[in-house]
Amino acid sequence: MPVESVTVPARVPARLVMQGISKSFGGVAALRDVDFTLRPGEIHGLVGENGAGKSTLMKIIAGVHTQYQGRMTIEGHDVHFRSARDALAAGIGMVHQELSIVPDLTVAENVYLGKQPTRGGVVDWRAMFAGAREHLASLGIDVDPRARMGSLAIGLQQLIELARVLFSGARIVILDEPTSALSPPEVHRLFEVLRGVRESGRSIVFISHFLDDILAISDTVTIFRNGRRIVTEAAAGIDKGWVIERMIGRGHEDLEGSYTGDVTLHSKPAAPVVLALYGLGLRRAFADVSLEVRAGEVLGVYGFMGCGQIELARAMFGKVRPTEGRLEMEGRPLRLRNTAAARRAGVAFVPESRRSMLFYGEPIYKNMSISVLDRIGRLWLRPARERDIARRHAESLSIRPSRVETLLQSLSGGNQQKVALAKWLTWPPKVLVLSEPTRGMDVGAKEDVVRIIRGLREQGLGIVVMSTEPETVLSLADRIVVMRKGQIVREFAGEAVSKDRLLEAA
Amino acid sequence: MTTSSDVKAEPKSGSRLGSFLRGQMRNIAPFATLIVLLVFFGVASPSFATLDNAANILVQISVAGVIAVGLTFVILCAEIDLSVAAIANATGIVVAYFTLQESYVNIANVPLPAVAAIVLALLSCAFLGLVNAVGLTVVGIPSFIMTLAMMQIGAGICALLVRGQIAYAVPGFVAAMGAGSIEGIPWIIIVLAVFLIVGHVVLTYTRFGRYVYMVGGNREAAEYSGVNVKLVLGAVMVISAVCSGVAGMLGVAHFGSAQQNEFDGYLLDAIAAVVVGGTSLFGGRGGIGNTIIGLLILGVLNNGLDHVEIDSFLKILIRGLILLGALIINVYVQAVRENERTG
Repeated sequence: MPVESVTVPARVPARLVMQGISKSFGGVAALRDVDFTLRPGEIHGLVGENGAGKSTLMKIIAGVHTQYQGRMTIEGHDVHFRSARDALAAGIGMVHQELSIVPDLTVAENVYLGKQPTRGGVVDWRAMFAGAREHLASLGIDVDPRARMGSLAIGLQQLIELARVLFSGARIVILDEPTSALSPPEVHRLFEVLRGVRESGRSIVFISHFLDDILAISDTVTIFRNGRRIVTEAAAGIDKGWVIERMIGRGHEDLEGSYTGDVTLHSKPAAPVVLALYGLGLRRAFADVSLEVRAGEVLGVYGFMGCGQIELARAMFGKVRPTEGRLEMEGRPLRLRNTAAARRAGVAFVPESRRSMLFYGEPIYKNMSISVLDRIGRLWLRPARERDIARRHAESLSIRPSRVETLLQSLSGGNQQKVALAKWLTWPPKVLVLSEPTRGMDVGAKEDVVRIIRGLREQGLGIVVMSTEPETVLSLADRIVVMRKGQIVREFAGEAVSKDRLLEAA
Repeated sequence: MTTSSDVKAEPKSGSRLGSFLRGQMRNIAPFATLIVLLVFFGVASPSFATLDNAANILVQISVAGVIAVGLTFVILCAEIDLSVAAIANATGIVVAYFTLQESYVNIANVPLPAVAAIVLALLSCAFLGLVNAVGLTVVGIPSFIMTLAMMQIGAGICALLVRGQIAYAVPGFVAAMGAGSIEGIPWIIIVLAVFLIVGHVVLTYTRFGRYVYMVGGNREAAEYSGVNVKLVLGAVMVISAVCSGVAGMLGVAHFGSAQQNEFDGYLLDAIAAVVVGGTSLFGGRGGIGNTIIGLLILGVLNNGLDHVEIDSFLKILIRGLILLGALIINVYVQAVRENERTG
């Protein structure tokens, strides 16, 4: 595959070179013949959609995936890591989106985690605090090393984790979505620190969905699509539109279902509002969210991982109590003390993780009836009725196997998802909130679920679909709002919208 | 480079029957243990396998049995109640406290009509259960710690009411239930049977019982299905406390006295009965049927060891080993289940 251009001074020998890397999971190719070069003192941005292959490549570098084809060299030496420990020893550090700090320990203990300086067998606290202060100051981080880690803001915790990774001797640092939880001043401070790290000659890989951030900090940008490296380019000469175009591959492969073109939204501004949110907020998760869910309309909520939509869904179902704002159901104030109250008020919810929705050791019919048991019988169970209802759903949703006594654990993922939906279908709710309804499903099951959701819309339910995948939202929604860092930043209604415009807005 | 894809094709061990037996291990192992114990003691001692002795065993397990019914609800929800014996003791003392005692009993008690004494005793155990429930669900204290505190509170109530003395009289109805018999059948066995049957019916045939199993099976999923999980957890704590209270009143009548530390051995007995019977400590699996088997194992073991020549101090160790064996099976069966789910 031709490399379009690499404009970092080619005289500097590469620190990390990967050639012809391929990796597949159970026959599905995650990486196809990928080349990747990282130079000393370089910040290298990686972009691509979910599943494009960037995480897989980084996990190979970090020694998480040990089985792959291709060649990797560090400082000119061939390496093949057998474990994450090997990678660490070779000077590769990773800062994950979910920080791995210990909140109850001090800043200094976190920096020195696992290798506290000792004197005569006991921890030398004085040396540790002094060392940590000095190391943090050298990175331009001004924080009391005696402060408890958990008491610090997320942005500061992240900088300290970065400091720990550098302190452990890493010459290559991989940052996974480092800015998703940060406010603009925190992003600014992170970038200052990263520039300092670059000055010291270390190399940084910066993975993010936030293209503005990638373009602001990177020297070089590599774009992935469908397991292939599409292009590597100097960041100075490109802009966001150029990147998005190559990320989603307009007009090229996978025409069907890739939503690269325009989708017209059939919004129904005249339909009655079922559920309304006014200025809803929840501590750090989201703030000032106002939404109207209309009968017979699918409202899509799109945003990157960590943008607050997962917490928003939970607040709408009474799982967490919002700290600000209020809800109204059909014009009347709605206070949700718990999920049972939400269910009685006519709100239904299917979370993104099936594991937190289903009872794997129980038969299909008990999984389906749990949400409607009180309507089947107040005091006594009526198992015959439960089975009848379950059989009806199993047939109309074509669940396989259709025997409702089958234990849920023996069903495929797609069929499990149908069971999760079927829980709410016997007596349809007024509002159905779905988080990632089609994630990780094969095409057939996906189509089934899309058809079920459309059917429910025709019945006049107000439906909310929350997703981090633009395709999911585009394939289902009649109206779309985009969330970014806990706030609604854009609404698309009654107009044509496309994937690149969604990405642009987020 | 080795190929990793081959590892996935694990051989499907055993047939349909094999997997059925593995699934039923939770029920089969305790039942087999019971049979082995019965055969062993039947052979070892001529006085063991008699009708009289069978009745003895049933009477001996009845107080622990009534406690175990309530505890079954709690353990099915993957919680624990360590205060059952203390609440039983306190309730037994409360009912005696409100009963007219003989003049030689040195307790500043408050004689009330029998009905009032019984109602007050029931209210006090229900109240203690409610405190457990509030601590667990509203405050958010883990049940292990909450009921540990309640264990001490119950002991404190006992100490305050009897002040080191012993009370003997209980209301006539309680005395009849605990120590009387009808047509040669001790009432206490009948009460135990009623509690076991009602417990089984509630768990198996009512909506509440289903919620108990589902909350124990996957608490998060129950909550996302719109089940009021906190209400269910609170209810099982109150049920457990009321069962304990009833057992306490029966026990006081059965022993013929009400005093401090009278029920201390029943905490372990009740937990052991539930767990040895095969109810999962992780919640969601088991039931009253298992508890019955567990009670019988404990009863047969305690009674049988009296019928054979054995160092009486060794009995305690043997009981401990049997409990350990049951715990190993309990955890092992859970591990098999998890494997089949993910495998």
